[in-house]
Parts: sequence; C-alpha cells; structure tokens
Amino acid sequence: MEWANDKSKGGVLAHLERLETQMSRSCKNLEDPPRETAESDLGTKIRKLRCLRDKLRAEVKQRQARIKASTANAEPDQTLEISEQEAVGGKEENMKAILQAYRFTGLSGKRTSRGVCVCISTAFEGNLLDSYFVDLVIQKPLRIHHHSVPVFIPLEEISAKYLQTNIQHFLFCLCEYLNAYAGRKYQADQLQRDFAAFLAGPLQRNSLCNLLSFTYKVEPQSRSFPFCARLLYKDLTTTLPTDVTITYQGTDASSTSWEEQRASHENLFFTKPLHQVFTSFARNGERLDMSLVS
Amino acid sequence: MDARRAEVRALEAEIAALRRACEEPRAPGEDTSRARKSLQEVHQSDSGEWAASKDLRGHLGHLESELLFLSTLTGINIINYSMKTEVLTSTENTEKSIKKVLQRHRLSGNCHMITFQLEFQILEIQNKESLSSVITDLNIIMEPTEYSELSEFVSRAEDRRDLLMFFRSLHFFVEWCEYRKCTFEHFKEKYSEAVRLPEGAASSCMVVQSPRQPGFELVIIWRIQIDDEGKVLPKLDLLTKVPQQALELDKNRVLETAPLGFRALLGVLGIEATLESLIKSLCVGENH
Repeated sequence: MEWANDKSKGGVLAHLERLETQMSRSCKNLEDPPRETAESDLGTKIRKLRCLRDKLRAEVKQRQARIKASTANAEPDQTLEISEQEAVGGKEENMKAILQAYRFTGLSGKRTSRGVCVCISTAFEGNLLDSYFVDLVIQKPLRIHHHSVPVFIPLEEISAKYLQTNIQHFLFCLCEYLNAYAGRKYQADQLQRDFAAFLAGPLQRNSLCNLLSFTYKVEPQSRSFPFCARLLYKDLTTTLPTDVTITYQGTDASSTSWEEQRASHENLFFTKPLHQVFTSFARNGERLDMSLVS
Repeated sequence: MDARRAEVRALEAEIAALRRACEEPRAPGEDTSRARKSLQEVHQSDSGEWAASKDLRGHLGHLESELLFLSTLTGINIINYSMKTEVLTSTENTEKSIKKVLQRHRLSGNCHMITFQLEFQILEIQNKESLSSVITDLNIIMEPTEYSELSEFVSRAEDRRDLLMFFRSLHFFVEWCEYRKCTFEHFKEKYSEAVRLPEGAASSCMVVQSPRQPGFELVIIWRIQIDDEGKVLPKLDLLTKVPQQALELDKNRVLETAPLGFRALLGVLGIEATLESLIKSLCVGENH
C-alpha cells in the first residue's frame, strides 16, 4: 500500500529490488552456498533427476516412433488432409441419406432461408402415393408461405386450430387428412381402372373422393347392373365409408336372395377397401363359373 | 563435489531439453498442414479441394440441424439408412416402355426407449403413363419386446406393408407410454401411502389402497391400444377389491357400478383429474 502511493519511487524501488535478486542469484551460481548440502541430499537429487530424465527420454522416443510411422506414407500432411475430408464427406453422405429416409415416416423436409419446407408423403396399403409440401415461414405469427395441398382439403381450418400453438399437431393432422384423401382416391382409381367391366358407366365422385356413386353388377356374365351404390365418407380422416347405401334396382324384386346379397354388399363396403370388395366379387364370380362347369 | 554438481546441472539441462521436445506439436507434418489451412483461409484461395473442405464442415452443421428438426418433429430418430437398387430384367417379351427397379432398404433407429430395425423392399414400375412404387416386403424388429400391445401392431404393419402408419403409430404409442409413466410416478410421489405400482411405473397397472382400510383396493388398468386403422388410444379400466363384509353392506351397489362410473368420469374430467379424485376419495380424512 505504501508503494502504491509512491509511484515513481515504487518504480525505481522495484527496479532496484530486481537487480538485487539477479545479483544474489548469480552469486549463488558462482559461489558454493555457505551451508554445504549433505552428500546424501545430493545423491537423492541425482537419483531423482536421472529417473525423470529416463522417463522423458522414453516419452520422446515414443513420439519419434509415432512421427516415423506417420511419415512412412508418401506425404504425411496430405494424407491427413484427405482422410479428414473423407471422414467429413462420408459423414455428410450418411446424413443426407438419413434425411432422405425420413420420407418413410411420413414427414420430411429441409430448412429454407425463410424457415422450413415440410414434405408430407402419403401411402395406402403399401402403395406409395403423392407427396405434398408446406413451406413455413418462421415468424411470429407462423405462416404458410406456399403449399401444394389441394383446395378441397380444409387447410385453413387445420392451421387456424393448430399452427400457432403446436406445429407438430398441425402437421400430423394435415398428414392424416392427406393420407386419407390419397387412400380414397387410390381406391376409386383402382376400381375405375381394374373393374370397369363391373360398372355401368364411370364411377361418379367428388374431388375429395368422399362421395362416390356407381351402378354395378357382381356376375361378370350378367348383362344387367342390378345394384346401385352410394358411399359417403363423412370422416375425412378415414379411408372406409361411414355411410353405405346399396339399392337393388333389378326386376326380380321378389327373391329374398337379392335382399341377402344387398345386405352382405353393404357390410363388405363398410369393412373392406373399395377395390378389394370388387376383387372378391370377381373371385366369387369365378368360383360360381367353376361350379357351373363341374 | 564438483563432479556431482556438474552431473546435476547436466541432468537438469537434459531434462529441460527433453521437456521442450515433448511440448512440441505432435508431428511436424500436422503443424505445417494446419498452418497451410489457416493460410488458405486467410488468402481465400480458390483451390477447389480446400473450399469444399471448408464448406463441408459448415454444411455438416446445417445437415445436423435439419436432422434434429426432423427427429424432434416426427419423434423418430433414424440412425442408419442404406439402400441398394437392382434393375429387374423381365424374361417375358421385354417391353421397352416398362422398367422395373427393386430397391432394398435398411433402416434403423429409435423412438425414445424403443429401438427398431427395418428391412423393406420397394418395387418401382415405370411405364408409359405412370410410375408406381409399392412396398413389396416389410420386416420389423423392435426392442424391447415387453410392450405386448406392440407385437400385434407390428405384425399388422408388416402384413399390410404400411410403413408410414408404423412410424406414426409408434410415435404416438411411445408418447402415451411416457405420459402414462409420468402420471403414475406423479401420483406415487404425491400420495405415497395410498398408491402402489406393483409392476413399476412403466407398466399398465396402478393400485390405490386406503391407508386406513387396507382391505379396500382400487386397481386402475391403463392400456394403450393401437386399433386397426393405426389410431393410438388409451383404455382405462377400474377393478375393485373389497372385503366380503363391505360387499354385503353395499346396498346401493356402488361397487358394482364403479367401473362404469369410472368410465363416465373419465369422459368428463379426463385421466389425471379422474385418478386424482379416485385417490382422494379413498384417502378421505388424510392430511397430505
């Protein structure tokens, strides 16, 4: 504290002190210290120093061996660079692949300058169908920059409910709607494509594919189309109808077998995908033919 | 004396030199490469390799954040993925307009405590009008196998080859399991005397006992089911265990109707509030 006040003197004092220490050190080096260290003390010191020196020698040898090993290759620094790049590159490939693999979970995406672009994949019974994207801008409030969701999917409704509070819920909900739509569309397309022979005229449907109407027959040989079907899918998150109405418009109204058939058809349409119902009609038709032959 | 002192000085000097040798950077090669790198960065060299290497590291961070986003969003953490493709040559009259490709995929990862390994095949058929992609085979291995509700679900997913539904339902199933575990643990902590978890917090069973009347027990069974469409739903049931005496005294048949009442209560109050009110009703008069 005293020195702090005495700045100039402190500076000079300190300098003098340093000189003093230097002097005493050099004196120590030149002279034998007044008190002679005992022989045994010196002996121990030498032993300790030898031990330390041997340890360090061994360590340096190890390092040299390592250096030799790495320099055994043509150009040591280049190999180091390349292997690092390879390691980084390999990791990048793996990560890119995993990012691609996320489409199998239903949701994948990538970051954009604005936020994130999420891709929703759809499938129905193992058939991979269309994917849709939603480009989100990360701002307050969160908003959709643009998207490829069809207009008849209630996107506004879903985003009003969930987008601001829970992105995950919003995307899962949208995923549900889109997958259900894709599934219904697939069923209708398959029916139209593979079982046109069973239908009188084209299948009538709306864009959402949740209201279907068609006239059909079950016997391939038959010339008339006795059944009229109306399928309504009130729940837009399902791929099976909620309302099924089958009417028999054939001429043979008296027979009870028609009523039985009609009822069983209704049940089939409730429980099986559309095109599979017709697959079973076709199979039954075949069986019927076989029984006629045998 | 001098000889010994000289030896001490010599040893000290050698040790100092050896110490310096140890402190040097690992390999002179590495040192120069590091220097070169920093030099490159400083001079912004156009050397393709170097630019790529620098970009690569920044790019990796970008990819990592994308992966983190997706794993948080889907609840699914994919750790490994690989794919092999095989172009199928049909032995039938080769229609040049039809191209068939078989993809073999391998995917592994985890969803919280459940790990999965998937192997599936996708057949891609490209003809004039369209491209169709169909999953032709799906094999799922999951661990742990204690969740009995899951094994049935997994078989169903495999049969239907419904990969998307598998992941979606798995995520919700695991979330429900975690919620159930948290809820059970919460009640065990809050009402430690009354609540018992005989099979642990991760199980489907919680037993509520009146501390004063140990003969009375309410057993809450909370199962998490995955229905045919892949929807994950909790299903709670109440079982009552009472001494014969109490049954005889129960003129209003409260105990008989308890399970139904429980279901009704669930609909009105929700799971947590229902369980809480149930526990409280048995612990009437206790101070918590």
